[in-house]
Amino acid sequence: MENILEISGLNKAYDGFALNDVSFSLPKGFIMGFVGENGSGKTTTIRSILNMAKIDSGKITVFGLDSVSDTIEIKERLGVVFDSLYLAEHLNVKQIEQQLKPFYKDWDSGEFFRRLKEFDLPDNKKVGDFSKGMKMKLMIAIALSHKAELIILDEPTSGLDPVARDELLDILTEYIENDNRGVLFSTHITADIERIADYVTILHNGKVWYTGTKDELTESYAVIKGAENDIPAELKSRLIGFHAYRNGFDALIKTDDLAGIPDTLEYEKASIDEILVYIAKEDKYEKNERHS
Amino acid sequence: MKRMKDILKVMRFDFLTAKPLALRVFIIVTVICFVLSLFFSPLISSYITFVALIFVIPLQSVADKSGFNKLYGILPVKRKNITRARFLYVFLAHFLSELLEGVLAVIAFNLKMYKILPNQDGEAVQLIKKSFEDTTLIYVMIIGVFAFFCLLFSYMEMLAQIFGRENEMKIILITLGVMTAIAILLSVLNSYDMLPPINVPKLPEDIGGRAIVAAVINIVMLGVCLLFGEITASRLAKREL
Repeated sequence: MENILEISGLNKAYDGFALNDVSFSLPKGFIMGFVGENGSGKTTTIRSILNMAKIDSGKITVFGLDSVSDTIEIKERLGVVFDSLYLAEHLNVKQIEQQLKPFYKDWDSGEFFRRLKEFDLPDNKKVGDFSKGMKMKLMIAIALSHKAELIILDEPTSGLDPVARDELLDILTEYIENDNRGVLFSTHITADIERIADYVTILHNGKVWYTGTKDELTESYAVIKGAENDIPAELKSRLIGFHAYRNGFDALIKTDDLAGIPDTLEYEKASIDEILVYIAKEDKYEKNERHS
Repeated sequence: MKRMKDILKVMRFDFLTAKPLALRVFIIVTVICFVLSLFFSPLISSYITFVALIFVIPLQSVADKSGFNKLYGILPVKRKNITRARFLYVFLAHFLSELLEGVLAVIAFNLKMYKILPNQDGEAVQLIKKSFEDTTLIYVMIIGVFAFFCLLFSYMEMLAQIFGRENEMKIILITLGVMTAIAILLSVLNSYDMLPPINVPKLPEDIGGRAIVAAVINIVMLGVCLLFGEITASRLAKREL
């Protein structure tokens, strides 16, 4: 499978935060959910892909091109949707179209206005007065109008109502029907990932915690519950985000480690949301362990 | 070639950003200036430079408010060319207003519309008539206003982009302080006859000579804008968006 996006050994340090050896790849024709708690490094990674952040080391290739030396060519073929609008708020969509058209060789005005119609976006209203959902759709319409082959979305669904979120996910699903395209979708709303992503990369504290297919992720982890005394000694160290309470405990566990657990312990497949929660709990647990 | 194309695209982008905010006011005030300069003094046309500034002033606040930093990060244009374009745009706004002022002044001088005003022998009309006789003053005003504002605005643009809008005023005050100190020092030195005599060159009398002086000043201002643009672009290129 040909990769549309490849990141290997990405390192980028700021005061108090660092991306540490981030590596993952997105094959053509798929949607990757890029998840992690706030401050995990999702936006820094996206800014690095866009050459907006200067990386300390590592390599990023998009369409097989280098993200630093070929950044202009990459941006011709890339669509980006940020969590907020990046356009002059006092302009309407017609004026925006006039502004952006000359920058893209493949800009298709017909496609732009078709998309506006399809997305029910008014062409005489200032874009600053658009609702958040409308702003997202406008940014997608722009990406589609210059025939972007890869769309990168940075937290597009946060703050959207369920209907607007649903519409956005439908648009992305339709977009990816073309096998030569790709979508990198950063979010902390894991329900969106569960619905449309084929691949998932989980970033935690600036490091890749998991990267692979969504199905593999959800099949690889389970939530285990029961009485703390029933946990075999050799298993306890393999529990992730262990949390003991008055009547028992819960934790995340790799499904490979489930073999041989006593019948008194219950387990069920973990959702992505639960995986993220237990990863965060693991941090707290480790901190508490260190302090005690 | 590619660089120039990119710069032109960004300048067009900047113009289209400012146009809805500025065009109507610009046309109205220009028409008023023109009518007044036709009847009362060609000098009035030099106010158009002030009006043209409304194509420049709102750009930074719109950019800040609308998150253009993100846009600059995704547009397929080199960041340096985005910065260079802004400085060329500042020059062009001043240059075009200077050109327009010149054309309007020439029309006003030739039409001499004050002649249809009532009470031609009155003191007011005589004063107006006088202003239509002094072509040197209007020439100096148009070129002077252009050069001063072009220099000022490109300098302010450089400071704002390098040090941030919030520090711009502080730096302007420091610059003014330094300039004042130099002026005081020079006048003190001059009062003690410690400075060599300076011969201020006289303006040429003929149109050709004046056109050459105007062209030289314009070229110098273009050079200044390009230089400020280049300094700013190389400083900003090291920063992240």
